[in-house]
Amino acid sequence: MKKILLTMLVILMIVPSFVFAQGEKEDENVTIEFWTHEDANRQKLEDRYISEFIETHPNVSVNVTRQSSTKMIELVQTAFAAGEGPTIFNLSINDEYPFMAAEVVAPVDFKAAGYTSKDSLVDSYVAGMLDPVVIDGEIYGLPLELTNWCIYVNKNVFRDAGLNPDTDYPKTWEEMFEVSKKLVVREGEILTRRGYDFRYPYYLESMVPMVEQLGGSLFSEDGTEAIVGEEGWIGWLTYMQKWGPNGENLGSPTYKNARKLFNSNNNDISMATTGLYQQARINHDNPDFYNSDDWMVVPYPKFENAVKDVAACYYGHYYMVNDSENDATKKAAWQLIGYMLSHGEEYLTNVNIIQPTKALMNSDTYHNMPFSEVFTTDFERGHVVYFGANSTEIQNLIRNAVEGVMLQNVEPAQAYRQLKNSVQELIDEE
Amino acid sequence: MSNKKRYSIEQKQAKWGLLFTVPCVLFFAVFCFYPIISAFVTSLTDAKILSKTREFVGLKNYIYLFTKENGGFSLYNSIRATFVFTLGTFIPMVIVSLIISVLLMQLRKPSHRGFFQIAFYMPAVLSSVVAAAIWMILFDPRGLFNQFSNFIMFTSGKDFGWLVNTKMLQASTMIVYFWKYIGYFVILFITGLASIPSSLYEAAIVDGSTKWHTFWRITLPLLKPTVLLVSVMAMLQCLKTFSTQYMFHQGGAGRQPIDVITMNIYFTGIRNGRIARASAMSIILFVIMLLLTLLQFKVSNSDDVEY
Repeated sequence: MKKILLTMLVILMIVPSFVFAQGEKEDENVTIEFWTHEDANRQKLEDRYISEFIETHPNVSVNVTRQSSTKMIELVQTAFAAGEGPTIFNLSINDEYPFMAAEVVAPVDFKAAGYTSKDSLVDSYVAGMLDPVVIDGEIYGLPLELTNWCIYVNKNVFRDAGLNPDTDYPKTWEEMFEVSKKLVVREGEILTRRGYDFRYPYYLESMVPMVEQLGGSLFSEDGTEAIVGEEGWIGWLTYMQKWGPNGENLGSPTYKNARKLFNSNNNDISMATTGLYQQARINHDNPDFYNSDDWMVVPYPKFENAVKDVAACYYGHYYMVNDSENDATKKAAWQLIGYMLSHGEEYLTNVNIIQPTKALMNSDTYHNMPFSEVFTTDFERGHVVYFGANSTEIQNLIRNAVEGVMLQNVEPAQAYRQLKNSVQELIDEE
Repeated sequence: MSNKKRYSIEQKQAKWGLLFTVPCVLFFAVFCFYPIISAFVTSLTDAKILSKTREFVGLKNYIYLFTKENGGFSLYNSIRATFVFTLGTFIPMVIVSLIISVLLMQLRKPSHRGFFQIAFYMPAVLSSVVAAAIWMILFDPRGLFNQFSNFIMFTSGKDFGWLVNTKMLQASTMIVYFWKYIGYFVILFITGLASIPSSLYEAAIVDGSTKWHTFWRITLPLLKPTVLLVSVMAMLQCLKTFSTQYMFHQGGAGRQPIDVITMNIYFTGIRNGRIARASAMSIILFVIMLLLTLLQFKVSNSDDVEY
């Protein structure tokens, strides 16, 4: 009798835990680790979206980690390697693609993100914008921003050098060279003002198009040969060598980032390569300069003897979700992403970043943005940045070639051969 | 008659000694031996940082590193950069820290000595990243170091290219390291100097020995174990250097001249995701460090010094 009673008691204790387990899952507490790059304007918006989301999803908590965009690349990589990757993260597509290739990110839960079907999700974006995040028909990310870069010009510096910014701004790379020579100020050999300087760590986005203008390319059409078009590559490396401290000394990767200096209007930089988002940052850092008529945006130049008209590559930052999270967390993560990205117009007006939905790209808000037509025209001249499982390595190798010719005075032909051999070794290995 | 086993005093002391040693051994096992074994095992596979599976490939990674260019950043160049940095830093660091410590010991007032000890040691407290960031500003063409270089070279407006020119870039990483760690080794030498009995110096004075003679005949021979300790520690630290080179490269300086082995490990393993190849490099660095340490012990032939 005692045995029967004891058995019944045990059964009574165990059964409810199975029965109610399913019900509890719906309200399961979920913690989302959200890692993203720093942007003061975007931070304000997203902090608000997150608190609004938590109000409607009380079982969800969100821990936000913000770091500089370059730091974030290695943080996310090492975290994933240690099995501690964030729930949601975003990087530039060329840094994100290896995560897709390694199958560590989850496909988009389109229903959780607020779409009725996969087709409706695809249809809401401008054609091709989701292509970089599609593998075998599955979509692995939603775009936080799609960016292309043009040239920002500080008109004051032009006037100070006796130039007319409206007519003398550089249309070709040769003019960029000559105009920069007029704009620079030196104390002996030391540059105290630069005319223009390149966006050095971002060679795939900002400099490979220069090579393409001269007839070179990263790969042959069949993808078997790397660093194609010797003349184009050597022509570009020669240009960079002349630009650097061992040439005409117009700029160098060792100087402070031109884009960051631009906002201050301190008469130390005249032109910088950057995107539409820079306008919100100028407004944040220096509202007087932003509201003045002292700056403008001009198209990405091309070489006089260009065989192809190519502007700077555009790239996307896509929100992705860690596939190792449980289903409830992944669902909540896509809900949060969907909620944040449903505010495309606010992102555009407050942060000046473009989420490439058809609705936004056709909106008056976008068309009324200062110089948006320059970005749109250059967008049509450009193409998406190279992305692949080894895009980070290729970027490092191009960087090495540029540093070699600019800083260590390596012969452009030698730098080209070394670059070609190294990239070829990479793709042969794949 | 009692069956209780009797232990000698030495045995009892040994038991206590073992007890006190166990935590340290455990610590080393978890944080040193395990990572070394794990790195060695990983180096024999084709593991990538994001890959879910790995396969055994034997010595393929080692053969690759010694026969290929490692995507443009060869192991040979890294060994060269590491040796240039190590020789250029640790030899001057050992000699200068010894000289400074001997000079400090000549100061009569302990408060004066304390002040200089703290002053020399302060940079060692700074994080390496902060130190490198400060020095990058100093090495800027408009920075203090370039101005100072112009001052001592009687030039004006010359850009010495501290972060640009290959040789200057190597020298600048050495200067940062030297500045940061000199105080640490000064303290070690002062500890060694303080342990030499003053009676020996008193006897030398009575015998009419000059200071120079005393240094060579008494101080240096008795300081031999400290010199060995400092030189081994300094050499190992230099071989493991990373943050200065990494920060300088992040700031735009070229990678090839300062691509020390640790930086190559970092880029290969973390940035490029080739963790197996990076593990092979770290095992090679481990072997280099082990061999050089053994060589140093062999060359110095250090016996215990008895006063």
